[in-house]
Amino acid sequence: MSADERDRLASEYVLGLLEPEEMRRCEERLARDAGLAVQVELWRARLAELDATAAPVTPDPALWPRIDAALAAPVPKAARPAPVRPSRLAAWWESLSLWRGYALAASAALLLLAIGTVQLARQAAQAPVLVAVLLSDQNQPAAVVNAFRDGRTELLALSALKAPEGKSLQVWTLWDRERGPVSVGLLEAMRNVELSVEGLPRPAAAQLYEVTLEPAGGSPTGRPTGPILMKGNASPTEVGI
Amino acid sequence: MTTLLPTVEGAADDELAEALRFCARGERAGLQLLYDRLAPKMTGVALRMLRRRDLADEVVHDTFLRIWEKAGSFDPARGKPTSWAFAILRNTALNLLRGEGRMELVGDFEAIEPASEEADAETLVMALSEASALRRCLDRLEPARRRAILLAYMRGLTHGELAGRLGVPLGTAKAWIRRSLLTLRECMT
Repeated sequence: MSADERDRLASEYVLGLLEPEEMRRCEERLARDAGLAVQVELWRARLAELDATAAPVTPDPALWPRIDAALAAPVPKAARPAPVRPSRLAAWWESLSLWRGYALAASAALLLLAIGTVQLARQAAQAPVLVAVLLSDQNQPAAVVNAFRDGRTELLALSALKAPEGKSLQVWTLWDRERGPVSVGLLEAMRNVELSVEGLPRPAAAQLYEVTLEPAGGSPTGRPTGPILMKGNASPTEVGI
Repeated sequence: MTTLLPTVEGAADDELAEALRFCARGERAGLQLLYDRLAPKMTGVALRMLRRRDLADEVVHDTFLRIWEKAGSFDPARGKPTSWAFAILRNTALNLLRGEGRMELVGDFEAIEPASEEADAETLVMALSEASALRRCLDRLEPARRRAILLAYMRGLTHGELAGRLGVPLGTAKAWIRRSLLTLRECMT
């Protein structure tokens, strides 16, 4: 497909002008043709201002509860228990009508327990126990650091800050003034990244996280040498440490 | 070095991207935030396309269920969260327009005076910021062709419906649209 043909397809797709069959083919193609996906994204961006001109309309107050209720219906995939298949064992249970009521109640209870455990485990694994919002010198949120119960710590970038040629961005944490800041990451540009905290003590409340500008490859001294680009202290979340 | 200061829009985009990550993890607070931020504008866009409040609400409803299901496939490297979410809204609305209820809707369309549509299209252009590249580039198109592009986008009209509105043969309508989109792309790149 030529560049012009691809652009025509992208533009008419975004405008909603394709015939149903062509639209279906275009959507299939989008999944494997990165060039087409970029053109579609560009056209969406070009025309997005038109959507912005629509007068906002207060949604019907009953709408959110309906959406919320529809979400509640299916159990999330990860927590969905394996379908119960009739087995020889089940057939045996079936044959003992005396046991049947008990068996059903017991398996229902087991099922609930399983769902509950999976959900608790998921929540515990997903919710950070500490969060630090790193602010720029202009007091703008520039990144978030999430520390999890298992010690895993991630940095989520909120700015598209890039290190200039010959420089790197270095992430530090400080929990003990005696020991001083310890490097936990080196980046060329802000992006979401898991921080290297192996061997460090578990993060604690008020622990400092900061990003400094350093020579390419990181500070030669092992301590921050350049300007602090953003910093913030960790606060415990409601999950509890 | 790019600036540390995110624009107001940039900050809002980050917040929405974060909300989508929440959705992907099954946390509905993420969807609620998206709903609070986007539902009023989405209802406005859907109403403009479908002309009926009940249908617009239905489209917004389905859109948020789709956002919930597809949140995990949102890739911030490929586009903005608003652009991603509005694409889902537009596709949902177009499916409804092109789907079963369509005959009913066409009746509504016919009741609209072409003159008012023309006025709508012009009002739409006026509503764009003076500094907007899109406005500058739309202004380069002949009025009838500009109207074709705007009606296609904001009303979800098909080539055939546009030809009817503009009083030209189908082939001509298609060629106009094609040429106009080419002009727009060249002007906005």
